[in-house]
Amino acid sequence: MTQKKKILVVDDEVMMTRMLKRSLEATGNYEVQELNHGARALEACRTFMPDLVLLDVMMPDMDGGEVAAALSEDSELNAVKIVFLTAIVTKDEVPPTGADISGRTFLAKPVKTADLVACIEAQLNRQAF
Amino acid sequence: MVHADRPEQVLLVDDNATNLQVLYQTLSGRGYRLLVARNGRQALEIAQKSEPALILLDIMMPDIDGFETCRRLKQDPRTRGSAVIFLSALDDTGNKVKGMQLGAVDYIAKPFDPDEVIVRVEIHLKIHRLEAQLARRNRQLEADNQHILAAMNEGIFGLDIDGTVVFVNPAAVCMTGCSEQELLGRPVHALGLFGGFGACVQAHPFYSCLKEGRICHNEDGELTRRDGTRFAVEYNCSPIFEDRTLSGAVVVFKDISERKQAERQLKRAYTELEKAHRELRDAQMRLIQAAKLESVGRLAAGVAHEVKNPLAVIQLGVDFLAGVESDDGVVSEVIRDMEEAVERADSVVKGLLDFSRESTLTLRPGDINQVIDHALHLVDHELIQHNIRLEKQLDEGIGIIDLDSNKLQQVFINVFMNAIQAMGRDGVLTVKSRVERIENPDRAGLDRERFSAGEPVVQVEVLDTGCGIAEESMVFDPFYTTKPTGQGTGLGLSVTRKIIDLHKGMIDIRNREEGGAAVRITLKMG
Repeated sequence: MTQKKKILVVDDEVMMTRMLKRSLEATGNYEVQELNHGARALEACRTFMPDLVLLDVMMPDMDGGEVAAALSEDSELNAVKIVFLTAIVTKDEVPPTGADISGRTFLAKPVKTADLVACIEAQLNRQAF
Repeated sequence: MVHADRPEQVLLVDDNATNLQVLYQTLSGRGYRLLVARNGRQALEIAQKSEPALILLDIMMPDIDGFETCRRLKQDPRTRGSAVIFLSALDDTGNKVKGMQLGAVDYIAKPFDPDEVIVRVEIHLKIHRLEAQLARRNRQLEADNQHILAAMNEGIFGLDIDGTVVFVNPAAVCMTGCSEQELLGRPVHALGLFGGFGACVQAHPFYSCLKEGRICHNEDGELTRRDGTRFAVEYNCSPIFEDRTLSGAVVVFKDISERKQAERQLKRAYTELEKAHRELRDAQMRLIQAAKLESVGRLAAGVAHEVKNPLAVIQLGVDFLAGVESDDGVVSEVIRDMEEAVERADSVVKGLLDFSRESTLTLRPGDINQVIDHALHLVDHELIQHNIRLEKQLDEGIGIIDLDSNKLQQVFINVFMNAIQAMGRDGVLTVKSRVERIENPDRAGLDRERFSAGEPVVQVEVLDTGCGIAEESMVFDPFYTTKPTGQGTGLGLSVTRKIIDLHKGMIDIRNREEGGAAVRITLKMG
């Protein structure tokens, strides 16, 4: 049995992170930690050491862009994969399983669990090379 | 009847002393000053010196008789005004007629009745007085007339029935630039002052006045001066009738060039005002439109964000429930309905967002310069507000290429707004478009996968004189922004790049050596 991949879910809405945790863990492939403050993401990553961060963009204290920038500047965490899950893009701009916009992977809310998993898997597999 | 200031003088002429005596006594004490002469010569001398109102002249005198005396009196301008009454014993019609023909006014036969003499003298003095008054009044009228005509600003021509100039006033001389001699005696149509140059009488504006007695009025005429210069005049040509017969015309004309100029200025000012008003209205409309779009866009984005989050939760929940083992067919039906409902809600939100930003590319043949112009038009207000000068160098020969004009307009607006914000206040925004043939894609800094050597492309360059960019690779990153928090998401340029990518084009940015940034957009021609 392969080891479960660790995913940190960052969104200011508790209901969202709770639902994401439940859905992803239901697949049996992931270990998920929730976080509702963008500003604490870096700290959470250091302790949790996720393989991938599922990141909301518009958050009140520190937005997804800033979190991503902070992660890529951190020598220990710059390898962590990031998928933006956001309401600021629409499904016309982004296909259901996500799209690269200037090197960043975006998923549009609302997302189907299957599409979310497909996107996460694609990112994790890319990392394996 | 006595004149108030000066008694009227009556000269009595007779060679017979007794006759003189009787006459003198008859007329003395009546308020006249009586003068006497004993012969024709003496009578002429006294008449020249005193200019009497009336002369009672005997016909039968030695040397110069009464007739000859009368003839000489009437010849001399100094004495011509004195009225002559002949006195003679010769009481025949022939002499009376001769006397009258010589200019006498009456004839009294000797021996005379004193009362008759008095009555006749009184009558003729009265006539003489009235005539003098009339002459004085005439002279006065003439002088007044001259004053009025000289003082008038309007030019006046008197014309006879043939259109010959018979009178001009000083203003007419001044305005036409012709001397009085050049005007007087010439046919008005030959002067060429009021149009109808040359000899064609019928074509002249005054023709109908002189032929049919119709008043001719022109508020918008033109007068050609002797030196060929012209100015605007208003003129009036009115017929003159003598005894109901057309005898000529009077032309009155007025220099209205100042009024015309004022009218032109007023018209120009009005046009400018109207233009300014129109521009103001357009700017206002654009502002309203922009504000409306912005607020709708902001509202849509806000609503989208607020709705999409709970929708995401529901979607994930539905997916979760669908994965839970259940034999109940109703449960899976409920889940399918919920899934469909989420999709519908999501499409409604998307429709709302589409209102503010189009999200699919529609390629149509279009004019890139026109797209640039439209985008510039929309940032016009910003340019003015930031005191930024626009320099446009658009190549008109680009022709038609396939493009999504709405999307590209958004691209240019984004690029222009970034440039404007980078410049802050004062600066120059340069927009160039041209067709370029790529010799070497690598050297031109273009993607070899998109562009091949020898391929013609359309390039649009947007140059600013602003602060430049910090790191060339970063500006297209989705969250890169130099704007204070809350003023921009930093998604503008990345959306811009996305649109250019969809066009299979390229956008790059570099700092200019002379300061500021240069954005280059390269699009395929076919």
